[in-house]
Amino acid sequence: MSKAPLVSKLISLPEAARRVPNGARLALGGFAVYQKPMAFVRELIRQNRRGLTVIGSANSFDVDMLAGAGCLSRVETSYVGLEKHGLARNFRRAVEGGRLKVVDYPEMACWDRFRANQDNFDFWPAKFLGGNDVVTYNDEIKTFPCPITGRTLHAFPAANPDVVVIHAIAADEQGNVVIPARRLLPQSGDVLMGRSCEHVIVTAEKIVPKSFIKRHARFVELPSYRISAVVEVPWGSHPTPTLGRYLSDDGHLDSYVEASATDTAFAAYLDEWVRRPADHFAYLDKLGSAQLSRLTDLGSLA
Amino acid sequence: MTAPATLNETLAVVLARSFADGEVGFTGLLTGAAAALFGTGIPLAAMELAKRLHAPNLTILLAGCYHNPDFSEIDRLPDSEHSAMLRDLPCEAQMVDYPGQFVLKRGDVSFGFSSAVQVDRVGNINSVCVGPHDRPKVRLVGPILQPEHMTLFRREYVMMPHHDRRNFVQKVDYVSGVGYPGGLEGRKKLGLDWGGPCLVVTPKCIFDFDREAGLMKVRSIHRGVTRQDLQDATGFDLGDLSAVPETEHPSESELEILRHHVDPRGVLMPAL
Repeated sequence: MSKAPLVSKLISLPEAARRVPNGARLALGGFAVYQKPMAFVRELIRQNRRGLTVIGSANSFDVDMLAGAGCLSRVETSYVGLEKHGLARNFRRAVEGGRLKVVDYPEMACWDRFRANQDNFDFWPAKFLGGNDVVTYNDEIKTFPCPITGRTLHAFPAANPDVVVIHAIAADEQGNVVIPARRLLPQSGDVLMGRSCEHVIVTAEKIVPKSFIKRHARFVELPSYRISAVVEVPWGSHPTPTLGRYLSDDGHLDSYVEASATDTAFAAYLDEWVRRPADHFAYLDKLGSAQLSRLTDLGSLA
Repeated sequence: MTAPATLNETLAVVLARSFADGEVGFTGLLTGAAAALFGTGIPLAAMELAKRLHAPNLTILLAGCYHNPDFSEIDRLPDSEHSAMLRDLPCEAQMVDYPGQFVLKRGDVSFGFSSAVQVDRVGNINSVCVGPHDRPKVRLVGPILQPEHMTLFRREYVMMPHHDRRNFVQKVDYVSGVGYPGGLEGRKKLGLDWGGPCLVVTPKCIFDFDREAGLMKVRSIHRGVTRQDLQDATGFDLGDLSAVPETEHPSESELEILRHHVDPRGVLMPAL
């Protein structure tokens, strides 16, 4: 008796980005300046996406680049900045110019919003929001009496992403995603996001055979049935790092930050690094193998 | 004869004396030389000093994630939270999820350090925007973990690298960390169980709080700063400063430990 073949969820980067329509609520994985799905972000810009809401925990180059390309209308997060590289200047200009609305959430609450979706709740409760202006400027945060004690609590809404996009080191064609044992907080955030939504796209450094997945079954935190599409995107978080694979490209980030000083200079950066390269591999060719190989991070062997 | 204490050393000692044995101290990674020194370097030096004196059981949370890291292994102050450098720095517990080992909402963290662009006279802090929220004059990074620092931590040290009228204002433009509006009673009415700022540390002075009244007051003025300088640099009335003492000095032995054991290579508190 013949067995029906397994369904492959492997698609191209342009196809994957087309699954995020204008106006979508998009959650981007990674945390702060670490392991951001930047190749996916560049593809959204190539496709001239508009009116997106980005929901996150702490954001950086992802939101800044989308803001600089005019793709965003709203951001819901705790932080948009570039850590040691300073303020996110495209983001800043867009907000100060009234073109981008920010809904500020405390950092822990940002994670709790995804936990709410993971538990299929519409809200998450908090005891620590009294007196904070995150409540003043957000009509979606309500007070309610604790049903057990009667004490007044705040309820803030679940993250409710339409699409989650994370960048991982490896997945198979069916969407089994490996998160390495040697991980830090950004990778745990990816796992949480991946469990908060029914439309999860994974860009992976490498598409691996099933035998690799079976040898690393303990590290498959997101099994195939949770994933709707996988894309093979080596160096897919560049210029941000992918933990254990490659480091932050600080030289490139410096030139990014310099370009972000004005709209004109940043438009030139986008032309050079995003719109002119035909695809992600043309972007990598432009960076050059010497530059990429210098970023390699051996991580640890065991 | 020991060289006199620098301002950084003095502040590290004042902080160190205020930590109790067994406490858990949380510092984030601030960036930019001045902010990193005030928000990260001085607090780390203070905690390391306290551990060598009266608080051997203090737990240091570096970048909120790395428990009691071994600073002898680094040659510069870390500036990236989840970089290979911190990942590979030996420590006693490494946080890989959030929240992780410390139980944030039950109050495991005894004290933390934060910085802000504005602080006001009731101790509210702001790192979100200058000007109206929806059309700000300056958009800043956002609240980050400040709401939690000022409510879920048991107390907070607000570390201000610059003391100027634009930083010390009558009322912050956005409350991203709550101080004492209405005093302790006010915090209670807001539903806050514990926490709040305890000291505000600046290059000119140290503030503490009349927590009942909910007002920040000058506890001590640093050597070389006049009362007039201090009032001129502050955007609200500091009241009568005539009885305010000079900031306490480190002892010879505190300085000796700080210079020779805590930070012999100037990693935590580099001379700017």
